[in-house]
Amino acid sequence: MSDNKKESWGSKIGIIMAVAGSAVGLGNFLRFPVQAANNGGGAFMIPYFISLFLIGIPLMWIEWSIGRYGGIFGHTTAPGMFQRLWKTRLSKYFGVIGIFGPLVIFMYYIYIESWLLGYSFYALTGVLGNIHNAGDMSAFLSGYQGLESNRFFSGIGPAYIFFLITFLINAGIIFKGVSGGIEKFCKIAMPTLLIFAVIIMVRVLTLGSPDPANPDWNIVNGLGFLWNPDFSALLSARTWLAAAGQIFFTLSVGIGVILTYASYLKKGDDVALSGLSAASTNEFAEVILGGSIIIPLAFAFFGPVGIKEIAGSGAFNLGFVTMPLIFSQISLGALFAFLWFFLLFLAGVTSSVSLIEPAVAFIKDDFNFDRKKAAAIVSASTFILCQPAIFFLGRGVVDELDFWGGTFCLVLFGTIEAILFTWAFGIDKAWEEMHRGAQLTIPGFYKWIIKYITPTFLLIILFAWFFQDGLSVIRMQGVSENNMPFILMTRAGLLALFVTLAVFVRTAMKRNHPEAAK
Amino acid sequence: MNFYGWIFLFSSWAVIIGLGSFCFYKVFAEKDEEL
Repeated sequence: MSDNKKESWGSKIGIIMAVAGSAVGLGNFLRFPVQAANNGGGAFMIPYFISLFLIGIPLMWIEWSIGRYGGIFGHTTAPGMFQRLWKTRLSKYFGVIGIFGPLVIFMYYIYIESWLLGYSFYALTGVLGNIHNAGDMSAFLSGYQGLESNRFFSGIGPAYIFFLITFLINAGIIFKGVSGGIEKFCKIAMPTLLIFAVIIMVRVLTLGSPDPANPDWNIVNGLGFLWNPDFSALLSARTWLAAAGQIFFTLSVGIGVILTYASYLKKGDDVALSGLSAASTNEFAEVILGGSIIIPLAFAFFGPVGIKEIAGSGAFNLGFVTMPLIFSQISLGALFAFLWFFLLFLAGVTSSVSLIEPAVAFIKDDFNFDRKKAAAIVSASTFILCQPAIFFLGRGVVDELDFWGGTFCLVLFGTIEAILFTWAFGIDKAWEEMHRGAQLTIPGFYKWIIKYITPTFLLIILFAWFFQDGLSVIRMQGVSENNMPFILMTRAGLLALFVTLAVFVRTAMKRNHPEAAK
Repeated sequence: MNFYGWIFLFSSWAVIIGLGSFCFYKVFAEKDEEL
């Protein structure tokens, strides 16, 4: 136990970069272009921007405001903040999701992040450049993941070494604290990854037509594959849900990390401009950079038929098989492949440190440990919790963790916090809170949007997603009998983790803030 | 890429660059004070 002092950000640009860093990740460069190409191309941008302005940006402001408001009372995680918004004993248990969700995502995300470091290494050393067909590249990925023993890898050893390095980097940043660790790292990593992405984008856009035998397979037509609008897609509810879902997932809202980051602000610090700046940085990385790299490049090398197959094969295949294969065919390919994987790795680290921070903040502030002790406890615990994702990857454990942590908790938590802030806390107080210290006047009509449209939109997404995708996963449809015990064990483990956190929250709130529920 | 594709590309880029420029102009116009 120690004399525990509240941490704070060193500068405004520091927190903007940290929140943008939390949002910018693999989804910007891999998920967005695939979603857009498969859901109406340019027409996808209509529901996308509507969702950005009706859900994404309002939720950003809501989370920044709740976080700063909670921080005034010494709360750095969602349970205490929710109890301040809605003074009942129940509300803190909704807040448990804000620690549980990011922790669950961290359990598998950091392993995928470590693949990016591994692939950066294999790109720079020319190993990836020597693989020239999709079958071998897929075998390389499977061997690296330990799913099969082949001529590239005989075991999971190399992947585990890169995992250890990645874990130590994350732990080191967390040990250094908010200003000295997270902020310092994000202020370097964010501009670096954006510069890397711009370099790759310029290379892609100047590639022209790489195959003289197929002059139509060129970058401009590749951009057309992504941007030519198919207006009939707008009549499909699936397109609108895909766009709303993309906005929701890309901005890192509904996880709980922005609440913790914003709790380190002071009472009079701006949240309106900072929240909008972080969202716009993420959109720049997603639409301008993410939309100009992977799909045009894949089109130019695989043509109109191949790109449809590739776009339908999922983001992972695109990132870890198609992209290195393409880089192996262009001049200075090793360098560009390294830039590609390393920028994704940096984007991964800025996201993963944000995922682990709520747990560290909870241990530190609610149990009065100093930063280093709290970071050590959380690092040791999460190191153990990460192991199932590594060793049971082929058993569906990562998909299961992604479903509960990366999808279910996100949508549920986002809906709950929007309703608590605007209805339980009250829209007038919420509006006042959003404007305290603001360097930007939020247009008046947003008061109406935040009160009615955002929660309604979120409820529609929650129910539509639940019946469209959620139920089949909960019922374990399509899960093989061999994988069933692993899925059930994962669910039992997650339930135990949630209950443990809920007990910790109850103990901490009772001891530290007995007045909060009154 | 057809005409509408270019329209969607440039209008999307314009919205994002415009929003980003507006935000960061305001952030940097007021000196990045210590929080």
